[in-house]
Amino acid sequence: MTDPITVEVVKSALVYASEEMGIAVRNSAYSPNIKERLDHSCALFDARGRLVAQAEHIPVHLGSLPWGLRRMLDAIERECGGVREGDMWVANDPYITGTHLNDVTVVRPVFFERALVGYAASKAHHTDVGGTAPGSMPADASDLFAEGVVVPPLRLVCGDRPVAETIAVFTSNSRTPAARAGDLRAQIAGNYTGERRLVEIYARYGTAVVEASIERSLRDSETRLRAALRALGTGVFHATDALEDRNGKPTLRIVLRLELRNDGSARFDYTGTCAQVPMPLNAVLGVTLSGVHYAVRAVTDPTIPMNDGCFAPITVFVPEGTLLNPRRPAPVSGGNVETSTRNADVVLQALAQAAPGRVPAQSGGTMSNVMLGGTRDDGSSWAFYETNGCGMGARPNADGLDGIQCHMTNTLNTPIEAIEREYPLRVVRYEFARGTGGSGRYRGGEGLIRAIELTEGNAQASLLADRHATQPRGTRGGEPGACGRHALVREGKETPLPAKTTLPLHPGDVLVIQTPGGGGYGTST
Amino acid sequence: MIRVGVDVGGTFTDLAALDTETGECIALKVPSTPRAPEQAVLDVLDALARSDVAFLAHSTTVATNALLGQVGLELPRVGAIFTRGFADVIEIGRQNRSEVYNLFVRRPRPLVAREDRLTVVERIGARGEVLTPLDEASLARACAELRARNVAAVAICLLNSYANDAHERRVEEVLAATLPGVAITRSSAIDPQYREYERFSTAVVNAALAPIVQRYLERLTQRLRERRVDMTPYVMRSDGGLSSAQTIASVPAAIVESGPAAGVIAASAFALPRAIAFDMGGTTAKAGTIAGGSVQLANEFEAAGSTHSGRAIKGSGYPVRFPFVDLAEVSAGGGTLAWIDEAGSLRVGPVSAGADPGPACYGTSDRATVTDANVVLGRLNPVALLGGSFPIDAARSRAAIASLAEAIGLSVEATAAGIVTLVDAEMAKVLRIVTVERGLDPRDFTLVAYGGSGPLHACALASELGMTRAIVPERPGIFSAQGLLVADVVVHPSAPLLCDLAATSIDELEAEFVRLESLARRSLIDQGVDPKTVTLRRTYDARYAGQSFEIPIVHADSIDAIEQAFGAEHRARYGYDVAGERIELVNARLHARGKLPSASLVIPSAARSAVIPSAARSAKSRDHSFTLRSVWIDGAYTDAPVYQRDALPETPIDGPAIIEQYDATTYVAPGWRCSRDAEGALVLRLRAARCAQDDTVESNGHGDRA
Repeated sequence: MTDPITVEVVKSALVYASEEMGIAVRNSAYSPNIKERLDHSCALFDARGRLVAQAEHIPVHLGSLPWGLRRMLDAIERECGGVREGDMWVANDPYITGTHLNDVTVVRPVFFERALVGYAASKAHHTDVGGTAPGSMPADASDLFAEGVVVPPLRLVCGDRPVAETIAVFTSNSRTPAARAGDLRAQIAGNYTGERRLVEIYARYGTAVVEASIERSLRDSETRLRAALRALGTGVFHATDALEDRNGKPTLRIVLRLELRNDGSARFDYTGTCAQVPMPLNAVLGVTLSGVHYAVRAVTDPTIPMNDGCFAPITVFVPEGTLLNPRRPAPVSGGNVETSTRNADVVLQALAQAAPGRVPAQSGGTMSNVMLGGTRDDGSSWAFYETNGCGMGARPNADGLDGIQCHMTNTLNTPIEAIEREYPLRVVRYEFARGTGGSGRYRGGEGLIRAIELTEGNAQASLLADRHATQPRGTRGGEPGACGRHALVREGKETPLPAKTTLPLHPGDVLVIQTPGGGGYGTST
Repeated sequence: MIRVGVDVGGTFTDLAALDTETGECIALKVPSTPRAPEQAVLDVLDALARSDVAFLAHSTTVATNALLGQVGLELPRVGAIFTRGFADVIEIGRQNRSEVYNLFVRRPRPLVAREDRLTVVERIGARGEVLTPLDEASLARACAELRARNVAAVAICLLNSYANDAHERRVEEVLAATLPGVAITRSSAIDPQYREYERFSTAVVNAALAPIVQRYLERLTQRLRERRVDMTPYVMRSDGGLSSAQTIASVPAAIVESGPAAGVIAASAFALPRAIAFDMGGTTAKAGTIAGGSVQLANEFEAAGSTHSGRAIKGSGYPVRFPFVDLAEVSAGGGTLAWIDEAGSLRVGPVSAGADPGPACYGTSDRATVTDANVVLGRLNPVALLGGSFPIDAARSRAAIASLAEAIGLSVEATAAGIVTLVDAEMAKVLRIVTVERGLDPRDFTLVAYGGSGPLHACALASELGMTRAIVPERPGIFSAQGLLVADVVVHPSAPLLCDLAATSIDELEAEFVRLESLARRSLIDQGVDPKTVTLRRTYDARYAGQSFEIPIVHADSIDAIEQAFGAEHRARYGYDVAGERIELVNARLHARGKLPSASLVIPSAARSAVIPSAARSAKSRDHSFTLRSVWIDGAYTDAPVYQRDALPETPIDGPAIIEQYDATTYVAPGWRCSRDAEGALVLRLRAARCAQDDTVESNGHGDRA
């Protein structure tokens, strides 16, 4: 038997190796989206494709990277005869890799003494991968192809040399080619770091000890998660909520039946969820899994080391052809942002019934995506993308936080002084939307108001938000949070805009984005 | 005459003093007094009992503790004036949460309450153009409001003021006239860089600290005068330089990380080209690096923020944009607790038993700590510490560890060894963070291990990182205080450029630096620096257009040379550069430093002499004898020699061996050889590396382990 101290040391070295991969990607990345907003994740897997350690910065990568890795390996096996030493693979097909086209996955098989011992993999959000709109998330896409270039698994590195043709697939299909090449290079560097560390660990401790440590580490996480789930008790819990369709009606329903069993396992059954839609709100299964794992982790014990052991107690069933498990080629870009957020709300709502007092009231429930792009007076083109925080739901012991990223994302805002230097835009207001948090014993967080003016040239705006018609719910008598709203101010006159819309902008036009408040918790006294 | 350095820590306040006539070095330690921080400084000076103090420098935790909510250092009511429409920027921050999976996450408490955030009608554009002139009526109203609210300090935070500070200056003028006696911080003065949240936060932190730090320094100076110490005290800044008390009173944001910087400065006095300064105390372990002969700095940190595995968590504290010694810190020290988790695995930290109740061997607790593990293993004296003055209860250590041993099915010794292995693995992470993660190879570095517990773990950590050399300074327990004796006075003025490198001229850049240099020289001379000792270094923060991450590069004589320097630095850091891509210069920075006359008087050549220990010089008659102690090494007990630090033999000592002194214990691991350098520091070398080099196999019965 391997001694328990060495097991602990190896476990910790594996986790550190995945963190170091993440830092290597960040250090060598070109684009602000990865370098500053940290929209990337890195992980190590064993030879069977089981997650060993993961450093993720945003929850939506939590379950999708492991799901995507297995499907990617299957596809490589099926189409290309399997992996070889010295190669690295890249893909962004969401139906294989598990999120949306912007998230590019790069995988390195790792060999030690000529035997396959595992994989180093990274997923990073590339700001533009083609498609009909800058940023590759057109609000009016009716299929996947409008959203950008679809890349099946291709060799990115062959015999330890980068494959120029593969890199060209990304650069020639993107509005920002230099950044694509730079960010792919960063992902390659990250995987080499992961490989180097994994091989060092094998060389130092030997295959038997490392494998025993991985088994122990997976078992420990599973044991801890089962114990934490068992502590919630057993039972069947139902939850449902909806996204708003293009007409602003909450028709896109998510239906969940959660069963907690006495062996510490949990089954999430989405039977009853609405059919897939010809708009970019479909969430591939990897995204759905991320919402489940995010909510389970947040409600049970976030300190449990993240590895395959955390997935073992959990089964997820989603009927094919639905909003949460669409068939190709349904468009998916917004599934990653809006649908994943609503799914997290639903899972939390179900868990709240089992764990009262551990789940806050509903948060704003949208990432409030703003995509702007156009042409300056001098003819040069530009593109800008941001998401906006909203009100966090009140907690059983505290108010919700105001104007903050909730649940499935945690990316940073872009400084106003950076926006105004780099784009023909001026921010005219950036404040909390006072009074939008639901009242209660504890008040829901307030949403944000961000107003942006176009200063020159022509532009197109694409807005993708939710909770403009249905309010974020309060809990235990707490009031709901206020809805979000969009408006256009043109020549001093304010016109309301839909939650999901595309419109042209003229210089002097001001877009007003107000995000929803969070629900209150408990009755006001 | 005597020169004094006082390092005010969380638990103890340490003094290192150098008698300039006799060369004698004095070390003293008294308990810290967090509620009245100047008291400990005075206490330790009283203990020194010298009337000829010519120089006093101290590091202080007063700013950090105030931000952390220390009782007795309550932050004052702070007001702020923002551009209308942007009063919440200071609270929205970067809109991220500091812990992704924590549904109960909190934001740091805003330093300016919502009702104390006033706005004025004005707007400056990104190129410094006035879009809306400053509305005087709105300014008068804001000032009147602030006066009615009785604020003690005000921060002025207007958008794009880095590009044009005219509106901020006018606000400052009117505020100064309306609110006499109130501390005013202008964002464009304290941190003239773009990115509004970080600039506003730096200004607000500075405003909030100003009244507290001013009061503290006034009290300290006053009470020093009462003791007839009639001199300006100097304060260590976060960047490891000194500032006079008068200078720092208006920029207290520069001393938020004052505490941990001094040790790295002391390590830099060894004049090593590459070193890792490693400080391990009772509750935390910290590491900083020296590369290319200079202490590595970073430009932004989060005051009062938290860390995860040694890395700062974004959004957990108050951003402050001031250069600071780039340190990684982990919760691991002698008092760190060992425990068994839900899955039955042995874990160490992050919770610590601190100084009270302390490790089980102190006699009041039953919970095992890293110190208890070292006692069980025989590395720490099982009878008493602190030169025999602090008795300990080894049986209690053993009992505490036995209860863990039972749970995991190992022997008591194997469990103790496991605790040490695990805490070493945790600490190795911070060493990796400041080297590997910053693109540096630790194998090229020397480990300088200090703090009460650092020397005990030095060999293991060096081995873990592939390092072959470590140094234990003469007085590890007061090493940080010694750093205060060798530090320079520094200033770091900067100016925003935000220009396209290709579109600018070398003359424009030159003119900017000339302006900064005259500012810097004036400030250094005002602080008492000998003008002949002033050195200046010009750098830029630069990036490719479209990147949001700047890297520092050194100024060169032509635009082409700057472009090449940037390409080379980008390649060195990130592994590639992009020929032909547009380069932006974001800021110009001047790094100016100089020595105080008393310092150059005392230390004519090398700063190094300030860390010359007294013991090495004065111990004329030495008793080289040692005792033997049973030490658990690699699964068995071995009799290892135990030496006293002030009575070491002339010949090198091969590990395993233990060297005890008043303030620390050094463990020389098997395979390591320990010698003493001319100035009294212990130099530990991995013998395997020597063998490989000079092809001689030295044998002492242990050497083959490495």
